[in-house]
Amino acid sequence: MRMNRRRSRVASVVAGVGIVAVLVAGCSRGGAEPDGDGGAATASPGITDTTITLGMTTPLSGGTAGPGTCTVAGLEAYFGSVNAAGGIEFGDGKTRTVEIKALDDEYDPQKAKANYDQLKGSVFAMTAGLGTPTNRAWREAAIADEVPQVLIQTGDPLFSNTQESPWQLGFVPAYQNEGEAFGELLAGAGGEHKVAILSQNDDYGEGYVEGFKSAIEGADNIEIVKELTYEATDTAVDAQLTELAASDADVLFNAMSITPLVISSLQKMQEIGWLPSLFLPSNTSSPGAILEPGGAAALPAVYTVSFAKTPQSPAYAEDEDVVTFLSDLAEYADYPDVPAFPHCMWSYMIGATLEQVFTKMTEPTREDFMAQLRTISDFEAPLMLPGTSVDTTEDDQPAVSTVQVIKYNGKGYEPVDSWDE
Amino acid sequence: MSTFLQLMIDGLSTGSIYAALALSIVLVHQATGLINFAQGGMAVLSAYIAWVIYGLGAPLIVAILAAVIVSFFLGALIERYLVRRFERGDPDTAVVVTIGLLTLITGICAWFWTYNNQLFPSLFPLDTVQIAGAVISVRSLGTIVVIVAIMVLLQALFVGTKLGLALRAVAIDPSSAALSGVPVGRNLMIGWGLAASLGAIAGVLVAPQLTLTPGMMDSALVYALAAVILGGLTSPIGVVVAAWLIGILENLAAVYVPFIGHDLKIAVPFVLVFVVLLVRPQGLFGRKSVVRV
Amino acid sequence: MTATNSFSTAPASPWRARLERPWVRWGLVALVVVLAIVVPLLLPEFANQTLARIGVFSVAVLGLNVVMGYAGQISLGQIFFVGLGAYVTAYGYNAGWNIVIVFVLACLIPAVVGMVVALAAARLGGLAIAMVTIALPIIGVPLAKRFSEVTGGSQGTSARFSAAPEWSGLYDDQWQLYLVILIGGATFMLTRNLVRGKYGRAFAIVKGNESVAASMGVSPYRYKVLAFTIASLIGGVSGFLYMVVIQYTSPETLNFGHSIELLASMVIGGAGSIIGSLIGGAWYVLVPQVTNIIDPNLTTVLQGAILLIVLFFLPNGFVSLPRLLRRIGRRDAPQRSAAEVPQHIEE
Repeated sequence: MRMNRRRSRVASVVAGVGIVAVLVAGCSRGGAEPDGDGGAATASPGITDTTITLGMTTPLSGGTAGPGTCTVAGLEAYFGSVNAAGGIEFGDGKTRTVEIKALDDEYDPQKAKANYDQLKGSVFAMTAGLGTPTNRAWREAAIADEVPQVLIQTGDPLFSNTQESPWQLGFVPAYQNEGEAFGELLAGAGGEHKVAILSQNDDYGEGYVEGFKSAIEGADNIEIVKELTYEATDTAVDAQLTELAASDADVLFNAMSITPLVISSLQKMQEIGWLPSLFLPSNTSSPGAILEPGGAAALPAVYTVSFAKTPQSPAYAEDEDVVTFLSDLAEYADYPDVPAFPHCMWSYMIGATLEQVFTKMTEPTREDFMAQLRTISDFEAPLMLPGTSVDTTEDDQPAVSTVQVIKYNGKGYEPVDSWDE
Repeated sequence: MSTFLQLMIDGLSTGSIYAALALSIVLVHQATGLINFAQGGMAVLSAYIAWVIYGLGAPLIVAILAAVIVSFFLGALIERYLVRRFERGDPDTAVVVTIGLLTLITGICAWFWTYNNQLFPSLFPLDTVQIAGAVISVRSLGTIVVIVAIMVLLQALFVGTKLGLALRAVAIDPSSAALSGVPVGRNLMIGWGLAASLGAIAGVLVAPQLTLTPGMMDSALVYALAAVILGGLTSPIGVVVAAWLIGILENLAAVYVPFIGHDLKIAVPFVLVFVVLLVRPQGLFGRKSVVRV
Repeated sequence: MTATNSFSTAPASPWRARLERPWVRWGLVALVVVLAIVVPLLLPEFANQTLARIGVFSVAVLGLNVVMGYAGQISLGQIFFVGLGAYVTAYGYNAGWNIVIVFVLACLIPAVVGMVVALAAARLGGLAIAMVTIALPIIGVPLAKRFSEVTGGSQGTSARFSAAPEWSGLYDDQWQLYLVILIGGATFMLTRNLVRGKYGRAFAIVKGNESVAASMGVSPYRYKVLAFTIASLIGGVSGFLYMVVIQYTSPETLNFGHSIELLASMVIGGAGSIIGSLIGGAWYVLVPQVTNIIDPNLTTVLQGAILLIVLFFLPNGFVSLPRLLRRIGRRDAPQRSAAEVPQHIEE
């Protein structure tokens, strides 16, 4: 046994010397490094003369898989129809078709980063992914590798700050923007109002509440009487609603992104006989999927914000944009149902916005792409509500920053400018 | 006072959702000695089957009954061809097999019916009933009643019937049971089949509120496990009482103990389980098991 | 000059015999060391990153193995300690502390927490321990969100400290992989010595039958607490490595679902086996990637199916593969007597 110990010591010493020697020598590996592009003229990865490849890491399984699948479907629908028409003519004169590589990250930041590592060498840009922690996980790596992480579906304002995130840009309005829009509407109301707040316990809910509070600051007629949270994994929010109802508020600000919880909230409020006016966020306000099953017509008023036409609204049943959108979804994205999540529409708009950028690109490089990305203004993407548009020129704002407050009219939504008494 | 009562009733209602799943887990454990992590997933699959049949035009009750029957056979088949191989071996491996089964079933549901939230019709009308100033929906009341009925039936099954005795014998000591003439394989299959049917009922009871989606029962699973451990793995009454306790205490703690709030109220069931087990290791209603060294 | 291992009593296969010869073992060790040095320099970036991730989760599975595979106690909370280690690392680095101190804290704080939890729970039965360990990640997530000044809340925190230093001339991914190999390797070696020694034997007795253990003077309570503490410590190491490789943590890291995945990885790799932990880590990282390549929309179905198929043929995990192959081979080969000396070489 002593002999073995001596041999193990010898082996360790040899190994140690070996490691140090190698490290000091600092040998590099042979072959090309997939490290962005060299000069301004050499093309970035993921783009050839005939195709451009976009990458996505988004949740396709687990609790957020419903919206996640929509993020892919919308993009595939848009570019499917564009490819079928022959492709996009870029600013450098070449016509290219768009390919999409999407990977499932199961809403796990670690897997999102792994997906990014896997894709970055073979895609031109990463886009349209859903989720704040999952996008944050590889944000710094994308900055270091100079890979665009653009038009992503999170309302986290960090991604739109050009100083902090030079290679990123959010698409959907910041959660704060949406909360602010509600707050402004309420602050402009005539009488006194007591507000109860129920928010999701994460950056989504916090952002909404922050924006709302900043908009009603200084408005003497508005008072927040109770503020509660819930977890995205809760099976019910009955207890919270019971507690909020006891506060006698006449307005409920419900920053909730979980469909079944919104439905059961609507039902519960009617059960306990508390009928406040209601604010809902843009992604959980679908008339067909949420308001009708919940019986929202019993409430005095239901408001939400939006920048996209909702296909379920009867008002848009004949709308040209919507009809094209639904047929593209069915034909190119294998998505035959009417979407219950707005992310399908948002991804479709992202596709249209990207097309705008592509038509302006004169060089097949990521640098040029980012430069052109920030020059879009007043672009009315298909499915956008009148009065809203894509504007990427404002520092610190995502691609869509204007939202419209809309009110439920029993069947669908219509825009409002002020709080109806 | 009425808030307090309302919270208690809300807790009973939420607790019934956990209880529904917990009863199936108890049944599988009594019949085969395994903790089946896939019980919730199987319940979801059963609910989807009922939904599909209902969508084809059948009346709701018929769809549910059909799903219950189909689930029985599904459960029996799963036991025979998948789980049987692992029952005698390392219990950790058996648990991981049920985890794999849960993943597979969730994935199959997602494949066929997507992750979109589907609306499931309710057996009960959308009315409410007033009890001493607090309000409870007919749906919750109906769920509670059904759960109690199942609980009583299960208790009677285990204690009073030959089948129940046979099931327990097979789970505790298969070789002795076989020597006594009990058809081991068949009873194992019956155990899983019954649990699956029970799960189907649980699934269709909660689906109207939770909306039908492949991961519908995932959050309830952890609470159901807590209820099972708290109430005692051998007692249907125990797990239902435990599940109700968990639902009620959670709500009360969230509202009346500001430090806990609604985000940490999930700690309440676990603290409860811990405290109870310190005093009574077999759970509130469980039977002490003695193992010969 | 056959040096037969003092542990082995059953008739060993020819491979086992070869392995017992010292020069073969040291040759293998040297080969592994050389590979560990050279391979990161040759592989492309993505391969290195994947290997590093495998290292991170192998260590996590190793910790789980100590408490579940070797000591036989159910733990469904391992990911909590990984997450805790990651958060300690992120906080310490962002607060400007020396990275060595941060590493030590990332090991110690989870160990202390694990010990406290075990001190309370180990007196109770197996199910109670299971319940307590389930509680850890489930309560951990809202806690991480609540203490947002320390943890960054639900947006998480980044900590980038593992960029390759100038003097090494290495790329970041190579440097990170070396760190993982070094720290992870050391952890594996130390754990291996632990479980091969008297502690390992004590764990095995406690796992087998607690009353017997107590009657032999081996306190089940003490060794359960020890096993938990070690498992938590190793979890903390894994958390540190997590920050080295992924450089970001959020409450999602502590998700209870990951604990279940770790459990499955441990069983698939092989419970109670050091090599099994390595295989388990590879399983944890590679299966999602492979299923993504096959069809990103069907990752769940594929993962469930693969898990069940593997367990069906290898209920004891991948480490039992050689045994299985040998059994299949022996069925075809002519019968050999039990007294045959292991030196007999076939093929």
